[in-house]
Amino acid sequence: MSNNEGALVEKVVHGTPVSSGIAIGNVQVFDKVKRHVLPKSILNTQIPLHKENFKNARQLLIQELDEMLVHLDKTSAEIIESQKHIVLDPEIERMVHKTIEVDLQGVDYAVYSTYSIYIEKLKESGSELFQQRIVDLENLRDRFVDLVCEDDNSIEARKGAIVIAKELSPTELVQLHENGIAGLVLEKGGLTSHAALIARALGIPCIVNAKNATLKAKNGKAILDGVDGRLILKPSKELVTEYKLKHKNTSQRRKQLQKSITGLSRTKSGTNFTLSANLEFLPEIDQVNFFGISDIGLLRTEWLLLSGKASEKEQAAFYEQILEGIKGTVVVRLFDVGGDKLGEKKGEEANPFLGWRGIRRLLDEQDVLRSQLKALFKTAGKYPGRLKILVPMISVEEEVIEVKKVIEEVKNELTEVGIKIDSNVPLGLMIEVPSAALIANKLAKHVEFFSIGTNDLAQYTLAVDRGNSKISALFQHHHPAVWYLIKLVVKAAQANKIEVSVCGELAGDTLGACGLFGLGIRDLSMSPSSITKVKEELIAHTDSEFENLADEILSASNSEQIISYFSNWKAH
Amino acid sequence: MIKKKITIINPSGLHARPSAALVKAASKFKSSFYIHLYGYRVNGKSILGVMTLAAEYGAELEFEFDGEDEEEAMATITALVADKFGMHDE
Repeated sequence: MSNNEGALVEKVVHGTPVSSGIAIGNVQVFDKVKRHVLPKSILNTQIPLHKENFKNARQLLIQELDEMLVHLDKTSAEIIESQKHIVLDPEIERMVHKTIEVDLQGVDYAVYSTYSIYIEKLKESGSELFQQRIVDLENLRDRFVDLVCEDDNSIEARKGAIVIAKELSPTELVQLHENGIAGLVLEKGGLTSHAALIARALGIPCIVNAKNATLKAKNGKAILDGVDGRLILKPSKELVTEYKLKHKNTSQRRKQLQKSITGLSRTKSGTNFTLSANLEFLPEIDQVNFFGISDIGLLRTEWLLLSGKASEKEQAAFYEQILEGIKGTVVVRLFDVGGDKLGEKKGEEANPFLGWRGIRRLLDEQDVLRSQLKALFKTAGKYPGRLKILVPMISVEEEVIEVKKVIEEVKNELTEVGIKIDSNVPLGLMIEVPSAALIANKLAKHVEFFSIGTNDLAQYTLAVDRGNSKISALFQHHHPAVWYLIKLVVKAAQANKIEVSVCGELAGDTLGACGLFGLGIRDLSMSPSSITKVKEELIAHTDSEFENLADEILSASNSEQIISYFSNWKAH
Repeated sequence: MIKKKITIINPSGLHARPSAALVKAASKFKSSFYIHLYGYRVNGKSILGVMTLAAEYGAELEFEFDGEDEEEAMATITALVADKFGMHDE
């Protein structure tokens, strides 16, 4: 403001980006002092008044939480619902009443000490599950005490401010949103903390884990870069101009994205398609839900083996958590260990990618295969119709026949001991080896679906090790040879009336997705962050445009022709 | 008064959401409801009480209902636990 230009020194605070977007504004720091409420004796005659105060404040707090609910999506709303339960907890009421009536303490101390007891207990339990809840509980306690003291300590920010705080409760965050803040920086919190969830739901650019942000930022202008996770204090004029431009672009982009996320998955001709997510770890589910995706088209499971969590029980718990976290179906790929995913002890191979991996290895180590199948069929029994099994690295028909035999044995074994299973779990093959693509017509007779793994398919077709930087230019997943094989697989699937989807990187790339649609594929699975760009492209064209594109792709003689044709095609 | 032993089968245990579901269902009954675990006894209608148990997957709880609708309450709540607190249909 009144600073002379020469004194400006940019300072940068780094954090974890949790809600993207850019904010430019003046910083406002909320450095709340931790509240300490001291015991204060009351007279017998004051008991009814203090109890009445408690009841009224509780009512107000519930009202505040209810007001918040209207802003939130389902996940965030559940957080607030459980906070309402906490506020109305009968044990809280009993202990508060006891503190007032028996210990003759004021209502503020009664509320404060009662909540503090539970906060300490939860801290002691050491359970990871509640670490996030402890911050919420402390905030709830402090707000409750404000209300019984009739303090209006509700937080208020200037419109357009970039708010910086150690931590905030969901209640406070929604209040700040109503004040019209531009961005949020928190010293604490993680990707799935309440504040992060809600900031994302409300579309407030936000970074968390910004160490000492409240100390470093005092006042003045700042830029919050919610994409790269930076807070730039006292930025230069040039930087502000640059970010203003970025901001304009991203906010337009964001509006478009929101529109395309919520819209139907349908081409201009009205043909439906399905976009699902590739997933490996549980926390990624948040992102899946954020992008409005209901199905998991590829669940990788190798990490269970590699991190020693592959007992039948641990596996079942993992599959169950995934199924609980999403609405639709999950395609679970059997352990695809080997190749580059080898944390190996059993002797090195000269050519690991051409070696003992995927189904080849599972058929040799049948105890591992059987325990995974058991965990899957048991889980499927609890969630009928929502689980599918995908077999990796099939290269010859015998492998399919043999794995089906093992599956039958496992199913019988489980049924004999009276375990409820889903006997109709669809079985699919990962088509990622050229031989499998070439005999797809034969393989299709044995299974319910194909999933084309384009990364390995390109690697094996072009004989290029993906990890070798000397030949990385040769790894071209757009190469016509790869497309020929995909076309064969689609034809085989269609002729045998089985489903076919694609789960490699090709599906998550706009060229790839459009070409695949043109070849007749209606099911694409990709990393959640690719969903919006793919969807935007697919809803922008007609079916015949996609078919023309596919024809052009198949008539090209190299990748470059395909890429340059696509950029022209896209522009029309 | 009736008592019954129950095992938690939710993969991530009795975290905040299942605790809320349990308390919500239990609060509809007139009977008093206590949960025993590792020698602790907490009010089953108190979400904070239930949360402080920090019951994990496989924990064996004992439910204790006392009151006119105790049978119905026991049946409802044990079914809810067996159904993993409805956490799979989200």
